[in-house]
Amino acid sequence: MLIICIMSGISSADNLPVVVVNPTVDPKSFLSRSAFSAIFGMRLRKWEDGSQIKVFVLADDSPLHVNFSKNILRVFPYQLRLAWDRLVFSGTGEEPTKLKSEQQMREMVGSTPGAIGYLSRSMIDETVKAINF
Amino acid sequence: MDIFGKRLFGNKMLLQFIHSQHRLANFFKALIIPHWMIVGFLYIILGWYVTERAQAFDLTEDIQLHGFITQGYFLTSDNRIFGKSDEGGSFDYTEAGITGSWTPHSDFRFAAQVLFRRAGIGNNNDFELDFGLLDYTILSTVDYRLGVRLGRVKTPFGFYNETRDVLFTRPTILLPQSIYADAQRDLAMSSDSGFIYGEYRNDWGNLSLELGAGIPRGDSVDVELGILGDDFPGETYSELSYVGRLGYETQGGKFRMAITSARVDTRYDPKLLPPDDLLGGKDIFIPVIFSGQYNREKLSLTAEYAFRSVEATGFGSGFDRKMIGESYYLQAEYRFRQNWQFVLRYDVMYNDRNDKNGRKNEAKYGSPAHTWFAKDWTIGLRHYINPSFLIAAEYHSINGTAWIVPIQDNPDPFDLKRRWNLFALAVSYRF
Repeated sequence: MLIICIMSGISSADNLPVVVVNPTVDPKSFLSRSAFSAIFGMRLRKWEDGSQIKVFVLADDSPLHVNFSKNILRVFPYQLRLAWDRLVFSGTGEEPTKLKSEQQMREMVGSTPGAIGYLSRSMIDETVKAINF
Repeated sequence: MDIFGKRLFGNKMLLQFIHSQHRLANFFKALIIPHWMIVGFLYIILGWYVTERAQAFDLTEDIQLHGFITQGYFLTSDNRIFGKSDEGGSFDYTEAGITGSWTPHSDFRFAAQVLFRRAGIGNNNDFELDFGLLDYTILSTVDYRLGVRLGRVKTPFGFYNETRDVLFTRPTILLPQSIYADAQRDLAMSSDSGFIYGEYRNDWGNLSLELGAGIPRGDSVDVELGILGDDFPGETYSELSYVGRLGYETQGGKFRMAITSARVDTRYDPKLLPPDDLLGGKDIFIPVIFSGQYNREKLSLTAEYAFRSVEATGFGSGFDRKMIGESYYLQAEYRFRQNWQFVLRYDVMYNDRNDKNGRKNEAKYGSPAHTWFAKDWTIGLRHYINPSFLIAAEYHSINGTAWIVPIQDNPDPFDLKRRWNLFALAVSYRF
């Protein structure tokens, strides 16, 4: 599953959210669906270099979040929410930091070391690193 | 009495001391705030945040603060649950919690939760430290994770035990009692313990294991009621107990399954001599639980099956027993519209799987046959007003009284009705 490819030319992919990380992050071997599932499921908490992973998401009912959960992570948003709640209220983990908008997402991922989030393709600029897998 | 009176009278200093103690006691009595004020205050504080919608407090980037509060209403046709539910219904059910987590370093995390619970006579405005732990990550790679948790740790047990007090994480207001009996709640909640946990993930899914050893929180009246069926003069306490859970879920969580087992050791320390008290006894509880779940966008199917071995020895005849109980439920949750959910469940509990109708045990121990089993059909509806607010309602049609809780609300088993109905309504808020 270690495929980094440029998805230009695939029209349906244009609507799909894209995983973005802080430009200082080198995801190396973390480029698989199982790794991203574990990261957004808040079960994989450290990058390969040992630094902490900071996960950012939008609200549960935001269309981009729903799209990202279902089509990129292939998990339904209610499952992510339940998994996070189980972690938080059992003391075994945390939930991701929730942001209000895509603008804020780009800003936070761009400025926070170790950060990961997602954006619409049209929102991506040089302040964040887009990851295709 | 006379002797004490004369002695006291003769000792002015002592009298003065006692008098001052009385004044002090009265002072504190005046300070004690009625529970409805505490509850109301919590509502006001939490209600204030509602306008802000669900947003956890990220105080700094390393600290998270969350919380929840649920108010329930229970109405029963017969038999009491959480207060006088059979007399026009009972609002005597409030659960609230504040949870904090601090991650000073990528390998270290501290987490704690304080719980407030009001649930009939059994839980009367209890504030308790539900968990308070240090989590240390020994190893973390893309495929593996290994760590330890030390302190007061929630007991991993089936699918719902660790967050059983949070309405958002459980499918119904009343969890399937065959497996998550509120009567044994305190023993199952958390323990002062050490846990080791591991995870392995791959393209085919995620495998996890948690193993722990510790002392369960078992020194309350609830435990005594749950195990012995009455509040005896002595006290119960817990000895070193063990629990382990092996879990597997496919990628994306379409299928989830788990096997849990535990060995829970509870002792009784008598205060008086028989016949005014029991003898010092020991209760060994060994459940094995199989859990399975299938998740689709609109539908979730869940089933759990357990056999529970109970061995009570040393209490004296009439209390000593060795039996294997059996429990299972089948549950369907259907998200028929966005933010709306319907649930249907059939839940069965036998205290003795060799005596499913309870007649043999009735003859042997005296308590009515219907106190040895319970079969519960549940239908429920819930609506998420927004991600942080939900309202839920459910109706139970029940045959049997094996899991009636708390026993103090229903002091006489002969007053219990075999067939009864329960209606529950709850609102919950979390941030």
